[in-house]
Amino acid sequence: MKLKFLALTLIALAFAAAATTASAQLTATANHDHITVDFFYHGSTVSVRGVSDPETDLVIKISSPEGHQTLRQKGKVGGLLWMNVGKLTFEHVPNLYFLHSTKNLTEMLSNEELNKYVLGYSALESHAEVAPVSGASEKNKWFDEFVKMKEASKVYATSSGKISTTAKDGLQEYYVLMDWPYQASPGEYTVSVYAVKGNKVVEQAESKVTVEQVGVVKSLAGMAKQSAAVYGIISIIAALGAGFGVGLIFRKGGGAH
Amino acid sequence: MYLYLPVALTSINVLIPVGLGLAVGLLSGLFGVGGGFLMTPLLIMFGIPSTVAAATDSNQIVAASTSGTYAHWKVGNVDFKMGLYLLLGGFIGGLIGVQGIKLLNAMGNADFVIKMTYVLMLGIVGIYMFFESLQSMKKKDVEASKPAKESVVGKFLKSLPLQTHFEKSGVTHSALVPVVFGGFVGVLAAVMGVGGGFLMVPVMVYILRMPMHVVVGTSLFQILFNCIEVTFLQAYTNHSVDFILAVLLLIGSTFGAQVGAVFGRKLKGDQLKIILAVIVLLVTVKIVFDLTLSPSLLLSMGGGH
Repeated sequence: MKLKFLALTLIALAFAAAATTASAQLTATANHDHITVDFFYHGSTVSVRGVSDPETDLVIKISSPEGHQTLRQKGKVGGLLWMNVGKLTFEHVPNLYFLHSTKNLTEMLSNEELNKYVLGYSALESHAEVAPVSGASEKNKWFDEFVKMKEASKVYATSSGKISTTAKDGLQEYYVLMDWPYQASPGEYTVSVYAVKGNKVVEQAESKVTVEQVGVVKSLAGMAKQSAAVYGIISIIAALGAGFGVGLIFRKGGGAH
Repeated sequence: MYLYLPVALTSINVLIPVGLGLAVGLLSGLFGVGGGFLMTPLLIMFGIPSTVAAATDSNQIVAASTSGTYAHWKVGNVDFKMGLYLLLGGFIGGLIGVQGIKLLNAMGNADFVIKMTYVLMLGIVGIYMFFESLQSMKKKDVEASKPAKESVVGKFLKSLPLQTHFEKSGVTHSALVPVVFGGFVGVLAAVMGVGGGFLMVPVMVYILRMPMHVVVGTSLFQILFNCIEVTFLQAYTNHSVDFILAVLLLIGSTFGAQVGAVFGRKLKGDQLKIILAVIVLLVTVKIVFDLTLSPSLLLSMGGGH
């Protein structure tokens, strides 16, 4: 009995070792993982590259930590006038969500897998909570509006077929380059790469992208929050000084009376 | 060239705020309005969050109105005494208005009341100023030969206590008149979330009967103090003043205000009034369009009106 158990354990360990070898193939590196926001920052680019098993499809997701967002909701009043009619709260939604895949998500993965890894807008909608809404169709309507707003701000985007792959040394090298919008606020973003085979995620690798304010931008943003009174007074004095200064320039310039 | 705005958390082509500042500063120097009713929506249109747009606009109005007040003061067009009474009223009115907004928010129909107040006030002021200045331009010669007729309202205002002479404006009123009307504008300005220059100018012209050129200088003087208060409160409580954006705006607006003041002196009072009326009416039409046409996005970030 003991020998039988030992044999089974050894077989299981051998299978596990083989699986680890396979899963160790997926790598992910973001080339521009520390984006500095200085005075002249106008967005950046981020590329993600790595290697994977040659027979796998890939999904690359970049997202900020999940949180809640309260947005103003427009509606028609009296059947005629468009105005803000209330507020909607979106829970468990990231501020930034980029998703690139080698094929259409629905061709690659089952709904269960999509929902499990929150891949694609439909999965994100299932994952998110929207309140107050009366039912599923209303949730769907307002989640579509949410995505529309985020896409307009360039912080949500999805694409398929944008990832380029090449075979090398029996492995698959992949690469994707994307614009990083200046609208993405400072913080840490997670790059998750999923290798897909047989409608399932078989491997996963992660990397990080950090966006950080530096120099004058960091000092001013910090001062606006931490020394708000001083910041307010400096803003006023600067405005008064500029107003008088320009007034004096015009007087010296012989402003006509 | 693009610059990153540390509080607005966005990047902007520097020519946009400098150009906007120049245009709105020109209007400020010409008509004595702060221009918030134009600048704030324009900044939002260029991707600035609404709370930052409103707060930073107040900061740049401090610069534009300092520049404009200084330009008008040099030629004796600021009635400081009247300005102080209006400021007192405006301050009290502002406090009442802020409480009013809290009440409306609690009742859940603040946005409707704010939008309607905006359309009605701008519409009424624009239409009245337009036709009044048009008529007075036509009848100038006839009126010049006739002595001014005192209206019922005028007689009532004269009967009030605390009569005092405002030398610079050449008018005599009860001290209560500018305080009460200043207060009225203060309430509306707080409800609408604007400085109220476009309301204060008609009050000074039609109710206080001040000469148009003194109206412009005096209006800028009281706008300056209002905006100092608003800038500080916005920076202190909401952290929403973007210093870099304000500097870019004020580079344009301070020059614009000086040029406006020089141009203004070359135009007649009625000409100034009719141009201001047309601008106010155009803004009204734009707001009506915004209210009736389907918006491209049904969700927006919070803050502002």
